[in-house]
Amino acid sequence: MRNVLELTWLLLLVVTSHAKGLSPPGKPTLTSCRSPEKETFTCWWQPGSDGGLPTTYALYYGKESSDFVYECPDYFTGGENSCFFNKNNTSIWVNYNITVVATNRLGSNFSDPVDVDVVYIVQPNPPENVSLSIMEDKGWPFLRVTWAPPRKADTRSGWITLIYELRIRSEGENEWETHVAGQQKLFNIFSLRSGGLNLVQVRCKPDHGFWSEWSSTSQIRFPDYFHREKSAWIVITAVCALIFLIITWLLHMNSRSLKHCLLPPVPGPKIKGFDQQLLKKGKSEDIFSALAMSEFPPMSSSSNRDDLLVEYLEVHIPEELEAMLEASKDLDSADGGFKSESSTSDSDSGRGSCDSRTLLMEKCGRPKEHEDSTGEAEPEDWEVARVDAGGRTWPSVFTGPSHLLRPSEGQVCKQIKARSDVNISAPGHKQSPARWSVEYVGVQTVVEDDVVLLQPWSGRDGCPPPPTFHERDYSQVKRVGSDDTLLLLQKLPAGTADGREGRSCDTSQKSATCMHSTAPMSGYIDTAAVFPMATY
Amino acid sequence: MPRNITSVWVLLASITLGSRPANVAAAPICANGQARCRVVSLANLFDRVIQHSARMHGISNDLHSEFEQYFVPSRNHIGRVSRNCHTSALLTPNGKENAQRIAREELTEVILKLLLAWRDPLWHFHQITAHQHDLANFSSDKALEMSDMVHELRKGVEKVAQKMQTLGMISNSVSALSSPEDLLPSESGEWRLMKDHELLYCFRRDSDKIQNYLKILKCRIVPEHGC
Repeated sequence: MRNVLELTWLLLLVVTSHAKGLSPPGKPTLTSCRSPEKETFTCWWQPGSDGGLPTTYALYYGKESSDFVYECPDYFTGGENSCFFNKNNTSIWVNYNITVVATNRLGSNFSDPVDVDVVYIVQPNPPENVSLSIMEDKGWPFLRVTWAPPRKADTRSGWITLIYELRIRSEGENEWETHVAGQQKLFNIFSLRSGGLNLVQVRCKPDHGFWSEWSSTSQIRFPDYFHREKSAWIVITAVCALIFLIITWLLHMNSRSLKHCLLPPVPGPKIKGFDQQLLKKGKSEDIFSALAMSEFPPMSSSSNRDDLLVEYLEVHIPEELEAMLEASKDLDSADGGFKSESSTSDSDSGRGSCDSRTLLMEKCGRPKEHEDSTGEAEPEDWEVARVDAGGRTWPSVFTGPSHLLRPSEGQVCKQIKARSDVNISAPGHKQSPARWSVEYVGVQTVVEDDVVLLQPWSGRDGCPPPPTFHERDYSQVKRVGSDDTLLLLQKLPAGTADGREGRSCDTSQKSATCMHSTAPMSGYIDTAAVFPMATY
Repeated sequence: MPRNITSVWVLLASITLGSRPANVAAAPICANGQARCRVVSLANLFDRVIQHSARMHGISNDLHSEFEQYFVPSRNHIGRVSRNCHTSALLTPNGKENAQRIAREELTEVILKLLLAWRDPLWHFHQITAHQHDLANFSSDKALEMSDMVHELRKGVEKVAQKMQTLGMISNSVSALSSPEDLLPSESGEWRLMKDHELLYCFRRDSDKIQNYLKILKCRIVPEHGC
């Protein structure tokens, strides 16, 4: 009956526990046992599932030599799920057989047994009192690390023998440099890194056992006098670089003079207009043509075609006399080549543009005839006189007999447009000639001392008429007569004489005029054409 | 000609054998009142002995690890080593306090007893490994070396004990020196029942004991030298 009741009770229990999900505890496992000094040790276990019920754990151990089973004397000192064996309960060189049991209302569960010999589970505490100091050995600094064994480990009696290991790294690095110190409690580090903060850690291990944890980090800052050596190297390197630069600069500076001494430069050609590029190309025709294209003969800087030309101004007589006078001055200044003749300028003799060989040659070829050129010659003369140079015309000028009398001037054969500077003071001047015309005037005869017979001649023969008369200096034209006469004033060498009028004789030629000289004036005579100029 | 060669070989052998004790000094160590001998300090002796025991323990550790590969622990055993070591009968201090509490002479005796107890088993073990071809060659070499080292270590510890007695640090009551054969346990054949791996396991532990006891002894007698 009772058995039936008990069985029923058990069945109910099982059924209810299954219905609620309750179960016996899971299997615990012993995780580790450790001894810090080979005198005591602690074992920890990991509980399994508790099965939903409050579970208690118990540790049982048996020693090697006896069959007695003992229970853990201390469950609290080592923390939760631990068992602490004090000195009295610890035997060295004895095999412990340890088992943990988990028990709840529904059952219990045994863990796997573990054999433990305390000698082989020693893991000491980290070393203590790690101190760092910088010391010097013949000027070279090194780091001295000292430490003390963990407090609990008894190394003084020889019970435990510890070997030490330390590691060091700089603040910015990630890798440690490890050194084995053996059994000594002092270590010197000579391989000091650059200045900065350095971290040191020490740990220890018994003969056969486990390494301790690393000690707390000790810090020390290396002094900066390591840079003294580096800075010395930097100074040396800088000095060497400077010397090298100086040598290089000197070589560079001297290289030019050396080059000049050894390899003097070839002087280049200095022919104006000489193109070196063409020379390099090797086309001689181009070179010479280039030379020819340049100005030759070299003129002044202001060489201008216009300079060779005589400016022409339109001249109207007499109102334009002043303009002519002005223009004549321009001619003087412009006509550089003929300055000698027209230097005493304000006479009316001057070389015209036809005197210039290079220019207007074609235009100045024709002589002019007086008798038939009255009307036609004038426009022709005028045409000739006209120089189309920049559109400027210039008054035709007339050569004076002084020009004609000079055989040196070869251009007398041609019609010359001389500048006339007629200073005609003709109160009674009634003539209103339109223009001057250009023609040659020659002295035909000298009637009296003061009377000169002028005649034009044609330049056909191209030769100046042989002088059949004495040269006389003639002064200015006194006046122009109404009947196409020209009044010349003879120049008297001394003093001035009264201008005596001389009658000019008419000759067959219309243009011939006989004039009588008057009181000469200083200067020379420019004869002007007496013919009225045809207007056009 | 063959005589000369043999004489040369003898000379070479003597030179090599003479250099085996690894004594650096030219003069021999004073052992039996010789003339012109070099006196070795007790601390130096202790250091030598401790070094020797450390090397012995290292070899035993290697051999044990090696045998672990071949031995697959059976799950049926509650604990791997169910059997006690043959030296478990010896009363050895199992803690620091115990080791510091007993007299120096006892400690010295314990060391000597341990060393003596392992003389025969290791020799036997060496014989076994030499004849077993499935084991690696260096195992038999290490077994031989281990056996030799136990023998030499015992001699060294005896010397240390004598030195200590001479210096008056310990009394003359060390019985191990007088009659070593009496120290052997009565069940001297017990060790033959051990398997190889168990033997190695036990020896590894005992060699660690020897080393530890020597260190404690040194720091009790000559503490100023590296303790």
